Amino acid sequence: MMTSRRRFLKLTGAAAAAVGLPAAPARAQSGPVKIGVLAAKAGVTAPVGESGLRGVQFATDRINAGGGILGRRIALVVEEESSPKDTVERFRKLSLSDKVDVVSGAVSTGVGLALGPVAEEMKTIWLAWDATTQKGVEETMPKPRYSFRSCDNECEAVMASILTAKNWKGAFRRVAGINPDYSYGRDNWAAFLAIMKRHGIEVEVVSELWPKLGSTDFTSHVAALQQAKPDLVFSCFWAGDTPIFMKQAHAAGLTQGTKFVLTTGGGVHESMKKAFTPEGVLLGYNSMYFEHPRASALMKEFVRWHHEQFKEWPNYESDHGYFTVVAYKAAVERAAKAAGGRWPSVDQIVAALEGVEVESLSGPRRYREDHIMEATFFQGYTTHKNKHDFVTVDPVEAMGTKQIQKPSGVGLYDWINSWKV
Amino acid sequence: MARALGLAAVTALVAAPWILPPYHLTLLLPALGYSIALLGLNLLFGTTGLLSFGHALFVALGAYTAAVMTTHLGIKAFELVLAAAAGVAAVVAVPVGLLCVRYVKIYFGMLTLAFGMLFYSFLYKFYTLTGGDEGIRVGRPTLLGQAFEDLDKVAFLTGPFYYYALGLLGLAALGMHRIVTSPFGLCLRAVRENPDKAGSLAVGVRSYRLAAFVVAAVFGAVGGTLLAVPTGLADPLLAYWTHSGNLVFMLLLGGFEHFLGPLVGAVVFIFLQDQVMSLTPYWRFVFGVILAVVVIFFPRGLMGLLAPRARAA
Repeated sequence: MMTSRRRFLKLTGAAAAAVGLPAAPARAQSGPVKIGVLAAKAGVTAPVGESGLRGVQFATDRINAGGGILGRRIALVVEEESSPKDTVERFRKLSLSDKVDVVSGAVSTGVGLALGPVAEEMKTIWLAWDATTQKGVEETMPKPRYSFRSCDNECEAVMASILTAKNWKGAFRRVAGINPDYSYGRDNWAAFLAIMKRHGIEVEVVSELWPKLGSTDFTSHVAALQQAKPDLVFSCFWAGDTPIFMKQAHAAGLTQGTKFVLTTGGGVHESMKKAFTPEGVLLGYNSMYFEHPRASALMKEFVRWHHEQFKEWPNYESDHGYFTVVAYKAAVERAAKAAGGRWPSVDQIVAALEGVEVESLSGPRRYREDHIMEATFFQGYTTHKNKHDFVTVDPVEAMGTKQIQKPSGVGLYDWINSWKV
Repeated sequence: MARALGLAAVTALVAAPWILPPYHLTLLLPALGYSIALLGLNLLFGTTGLLSFGHALFVALGAYTAAVMTTHLGIKAFELVLAAAAGVAAVVAVPVGLLCVRYVKIYFGMLTLAFGMLFYSFLYKFYTLTGGDEGIRVGRPTLLGQAFEDLDKVAFLTGPFYYYALGLLGLAALGMHRIVTSPFGLCLRAVRENPDKAGSLAVGVRSYRLAAFVVAAVFGAVGGTLLAVPTGLADPLLAYWTHSGNLVFMLLLGGFEHFLGPLVGAVVFIFLQDQVMSLTPYWRFVFGVILAVVVIFFPRGLMGLLAPRARAA
């Protein structure tokens, strides 16, 4: 009985495999190159998803205008990034049903942790925008084959902490953290404290606050901060919560005489109005700053295009999206050259993506051999001297991920503790 | 008519791997998992008259049990995972149920919603235990001692795992049919129709409600383990109130008065979501309209249209 049941199960498995997928999915080698896009469209990540999609669209339009990839035009198949379960199903749809050549997108690391193994199982190249496959600050997929993920989640906190130590050492002692209540918030705050310690800066943590991601009322948090009387407030808010918090903090008089470090608030820069954001706040724009004084011609063209199309100034997620598409193009062309001009296989494209470096909107970007993105991060001190009704930064500081991202195979805190300061 | 429909559904599901492309087969997997969870939910709602807005608690409990066992404990045997999920769900359901079944109607609904969100907060906040927002990975299980290592994940899911899940749904449906047609089921319906009269006939109203609650929880957790394997991750959103809302939606869509309603509701919901999500980012709005139309014009759901006279046994 046992034998026949097992045989039945094996037979059904084999039959399904026969009608199902071959081991390595066959992709069309003529017609358009299909790029599947996973972009958030609802909830707190919706503006980020939209921004990434704009970057992908800009790259696609430019590449198609220039003749496509090896003569094949790019066609986008856009699906929604939502919960891990639903996004895994969307990824399977893109791979199995739409038979896309590559999937670009996803900003949530919760989703990324689910997508990474699925990309490996499906043998489909996945180029993440902002999502990583980190659990906390540790990499869960040290040797992926088909997954290429974003810079470490804590890069912006590392850069802001280095700048804080460099420029404000001796000017603060009492610190408070107000960070979103999930792994990103906790890890960035822990990285900040570890870096202060490494720099020999003695700090007294007077308040640690963990509002829910996307909160819209910080009255009680601001009151708690007023009570705590910090010299410096550290926050890695990245969504609409940043301007709301600053508005309420400003109304309570907290912005007078207190230093603010907003590692990622530049992601919603147009909402950071001068009316409530003082000058001198350390503000991070992640890996692209739209008004960089030494912006490349490409960046200027993108900013112009973005403003004409959407009446908005772009943020960093666009460059994540843009990079994934141009990196894929460069890898296909590089692999095709090695393959005698033929359209390369998925495995050949993967090999070519490893170490590929291209000119992105914000400057050169590349994928490390362990499939982690390398980019330049931008932060600076807020100023009101600009043509907008919101703050910008001057001077702009830039740091490469070689300086602010842990190297391959090394733990974050081991790496921080190994710094020579 | 009902028997013919049931036979047609079984034939279609058994033949699906030879007919449907792999992607649509992978879509059927969550439908099978949801169907089992909904069979349980319908025992509470359709048979006992208690509408739970927190049933996702038990679905998530099943998924997290699968995650902890396959990832942290290294136990891959899916039979053990299922048994553990059922056991954990029953253990949790007894105290939760004891508190909830003291009330009926909106108060029962609100209490179950509260417990569901309590569990969501636990999953989210106790991150050293639960992985917080990042959840816990779910490893590939073995089925009846077979690892199927020569099959890639899609072939595994659309082959052995599909039939395993289908078999499990068959067992769950038979078990549930046995329950609702038994004297126990009759007592549950008596409790639904007239609890005072049932009580006067020596039917322990609260005990029966509690029993239905625990059985529903076990079915929910078993369904949750089936959902977790294709996703490969258990995350807190599985316990979120919107997920509980989706379960109620599926039940209303399929029709809670008919035994096959949960199955039809789950399959139609998932395939509809698949299509509408690709068409418009406003798919949640579209689903809201569909729900309103179903509740106003077709309160007996799709099965009410297909088999107007066939009522739950």
